[in-house]
Amino acid sequence: MSGLHDLQAYEVVEGIKQGLFSAEEYFSSVIKTLEHVESRLHSFITLDTDKALSCAKVIDGKLKANEDIGQLGGVVVGIKDNISTKGIRTTCASKLLESYVPSYDATVIQRLKQNGAIILGKLNLDEFGMGSTTEYSSYYPTHNPWNLDYVPGGSSGGSGAAVAAGECTVSLGSDTGGSIRCPASFCSVVGLKPTYGRVSRYGLISYANSLEQIGPICRSVKDVVMIMNIISGKDNKDDTSMSSSPITINNKLEKFEIAIIKDLIDGSDDEVKRTIYSASEKFSDIGCMLDEISIKHLNYALPSYYTLASAEASSNLARYDNIRYGFNLPIEEYKWDTYFSDVRKNFGEEVKRRILIGSYVLSSGYYSKYYLKARGLRSLLKLELLKLFKKYDLLIGPTMPILPFKFGEKIDDPIKMYLVDINTVIANLAGIPAISLPVGFSNGLPIGLQIMAAPFEEQKLIDVSYALEQAINIQRRPKLE
Amino acid sequence: MISKDEIEYLAKISKISLTEDEAKKFPEQLDKTIEYIDILDELASDHSIILDLQEIKFDELRDDVVRMSGALPITRNLTEEGFLKGPKMK
Repeated sequence: MSGLHDLQAYEVVEGIKQGLFSAEEYFSSVIKTLEHVESRLHSFITLDTDKALSCAKVIDGKLKANEDIGQLGGVVVGIKDNISTKGIRTTCASKLLESYVPSYDATVIQRLKQNGAIILGKLNLDEFGMGSTTEYSSYYPTHNPWNLDYVPGGSSGGSGAAVAAGECTVSLGSDTGGSIRCPASFCSVVGLKPTYGRVSRYGLISYANSLEQIGPICRSVKDVVMIMNIISGKDNKDDTSMSSSPITINNKLEKFEIAIIKDLIDGSDDEVKRTIYSASEKFSDIGCMLDEISIKHLNYALPSYYTLASAEASSNLARYDNIRYGFNLPIEEYKWDTYFSDVRKNFGEEVKRRILIGSYVLSSGYYSKYYLKARGLRSLLKLELLKLFKKYDLLIGPTMPILPFKFGEKIDDPIKMYLVDINTVIANLAGIPAISLPVGFSNGLPIGLQIMAAPFEEQKLIDVSYALEQAINIQRRPKLE
Repeated sequence: MISKDEIEYLAKISKISLTEDEAKKFPEQLDKTIEYIDILDELASDHSIILDLQEIKFDELRDDVVRMSGALPITRNLTEEGFLKGPKMK
């Protein structure tokens, strides 16, 4: 069944502006889909349907009054539940924040609203963004719309599943070590992790500040461009943010020099390997040069990532101390030594593991053995990549080394779980942009191609992704009727 | 090998209490993780290689200017005495 909920964001805005359908009609179509599939997918933690409906009516009213409805006028957007939304509960999928209602909007939310977007609700994730499957959400896991027995990827699993299933037209995720690209790959949608600093992090609830970025998950490259141009830019509330030139869709492709990262292919499952190689053949069809390279410091990337991310997490999550955020404990039972830990025991297992590892790598005696070495590796890796980008425009490989897997497969073995992030953490460590583009299926399960570029070279990612998207023309919508 | 005592100490400084189940399985899990990141020790200890990736100079920071935040007033959780009150723990 295809309907208005199937449209892409740019088609929605055009349709509403031209009067082909009203914002309310399109909104109702999205809600109908949501009501039909949400009980099976569990993409959302909180829905704000009534407010969203009234926003759709406002858009229709503006159009009648000949007022500007904005670049995203009427488009239904879902937001990962670690991005602050004024007046809408923001839980980070944690019990610690189950009643937290932010009093302000993140900068990205402000910008979406100013451009007429409709915020439908908050999407599921692994608690505080720590995980690759949504199984570490304190509420419930999200299911993969392509096969409900499989994980949707994570940590922005709700963001990936909801867009793939048509529960919202686009979504925002956040990416600390692959959390946008992993679910984009597992759900056959497009996900972009921007260059560090391109998008303001103000209002993103911190997990590992030096690594994370907010980015879009969409059903087309064109929609990614649309959202990026709205959320990017310098923000006085985030001093790491920078201004950047807008990106655009170009119909003519430059002849790019592209290198496949051989190590990432070698470490992948056979089905993934085959699909990536056959997708990369298309690069020569669209006029690009293809080469193969190795990254010297690749072996150290994942250990370095987990050291840095855990260290930053242990420090960031110290704020949940039962004073600034916490619960109302009866004063009679108050004991100094357990006042904090009584509340912090509500963190999930994975969050606790990372806090403990973080405390370990930062403690005296281990600080120079792990943390400093990890930071050093990060610099070496970035220098190595920048050197490669002098020769090549883009580096490619599989987004995920494996196909989506079944629930419970890796949950008891943290290292097995961490290893699925091996291809994606590189971009976060180096602060470079990376996109995941759907390029195929194996046994009905999606496979994504990852493309990386030098800092602030998002335009190159978009150019080649758009050309490849036209050349491959892959199915984006699962059958969930 | 990370000992049970070490984990207890880490939990104490992190202000976290572990459930019985966690106390049982964490030593092995954390041990594996630390073993995994041990490869970092192979890297040379040349501190000169540490570069700040996102260098922000002090004079590039914005000036402090007081203005209204536009945030919602935090009245929903105020007690009669005017204190902020957290939700009940389940």
